[in-house]
Amino acid sequence: MVKNVLVVDDDRELLLSLSEGLERYGETFSVLVAGDGQVAVEKLKGNSISLVVTDLKMPNMDGFALLAHIIEQYPEIPVIVITAYSTPRMEKLAREGGAVGYIEKPFMIDSLARKIMTTLRKETEGGTLHGVSSGIFLQLIEMEEKTCTIRLVDKSSGKQGVLFFRNGELLDAKCDNLQGEFAAYEIFSWDETEISIQNSCGLKKKKINRDLQAILLEAMRLKDEAAQGQESVNEGREEDEAEEVTEIEELEIPVDENAIRDKFKKEIGRNLGVEDIYEDGSWDGLIAQMSRIGTFFAAGRIKISYIDREESKDFILLPGKTTTVISVNPRCPKDRIIQILSG
Amino acid sequence: MENMKKLFGDVLDIDDVKGVMIFSFKGELIFKEFLTPISEEPESREWGPLFIDSLRGIREADIVYESGRLYIRKTGLGYLLILMGLFTPVAMMRLNCDILLPSLEKSGASKGLAHFFKKKK
Repeated sequence: MVKNVLVVDDDRELLLSLSEGLERYGETFSVLVAGDGQVAVEKLKGNSISLVVTDLKMPNMDGFALLAHIIEQYPEIPVIVITAYSTPRMEKLAREGGAVGYIEKPFMIDSLARKIMTTLRKETEGGTLHGVSSGIFLQLIEMEEKTCTIRLVDKSSGKQGVLFFRNGELLDAKCDNLQGEFAAYEIFSWDETEISIQNSCGLKKKKINRDLQAILLEAMRLKDEAAQGQESVNEGREEDEAEEVTEIEELEIPVDENAIRDKFKKEIGRNLGVEDIYEDGSWDGLIAQMSRIGTFFAAGRIKISYIDREESKDFILLPGKTTTVISVNPRCPKDRIIQILSG
Repeated sequence: MENMKKLFGDVLDIDDVKGVMIFSFKGELIFKEFLTPISEEPESREWGPLFIDSLRGIREADIVYESGRLYIRKTGLGYLLILMGLFTPVAMMRLNCDILLPSLEKSGASKGLAHFFKKKK
């Protein structure tokens, strides 16, 4: 895949000659240009950039401010600084600010190109994997307590994502406009990915506070739910097309513990995070209120409720003479359970 | 109100979502938007003492009825209720709520929504 390099300089002539001069490396990277830091910030938002080359002295937003922005917002993007006003102090500042390279003007285009290619190669220094599901691989990173930056491409959609690990801990994730946990859920839902490993991590601050296992589980749950939702939509559409009017069957919910457990085992082959099943009249009031709402929007009788009270357990309520309560692990596949119980 | 409509635009665009209501913790209706006709206006009901009180302690609830589904989510403003059909992709709807809730709470603190919280005289 050809990578994008963003060159930022207020010298238009230099930009033009760099664009032309670097064209011969088009098989490895293509060049985007920006006239100052502010324009570069916009280009970073709208493009997938692998590396930035920036001047330091520029109007509006100078190279130091741009460098700080990239380190904060795009820690996976390396920055090479080019400057005509080089001093040891300036070089020190740029390197301390996070620049991976520092080149004094004037320079030969070929030497910049070599620096760019050497830096880009680091993206894959730890190797690349093709056509893999990310889950097991990422658990290995956690077990091995690796520090690395993982770039992933979803083979089916072409979407790209980045994961930041320090000592095996997932610090952050980025994917399109998503960041943090939501980006991780998206990335972990990809079935077949191309993975590149960089043996370093530019990010220091932890922005994801859940552990990898929990995020992987949640991602699977969301994926299952999305798939089931889509299936339901498709089924609904097919029914509409056939102009079949089918009545929703009355729910036959098994109300004793063994019958419910058997139903789960029969449908899924495992326990699905069920912790306890019991009757509890203290929920009857809530069920009565929920039933009133069902009447309000003409949805019919209540079949099942899933309740999250921010406790160590969630609760599934089945209406009856006395409410039957199924307490479950909050990480259980709740929509799958609801689907099984509501028939 | 237009801001709220805009905020819930993505949720209301999801397949088979039928409407959105937000109630304050005292049971006052803060916002409503229905995509399908309803038999009774929500203002005609008293939501506070029984229904809203029964939700105390609940962060999220998902209720399946014979021919519809209701998603309830606690927010900084009160309770968000999303009325759905049986074919709504619930995971997508939940994800949209996760994304919009911070904006909802932010907008709730702004002057624009302050009038919703004025006590009735």
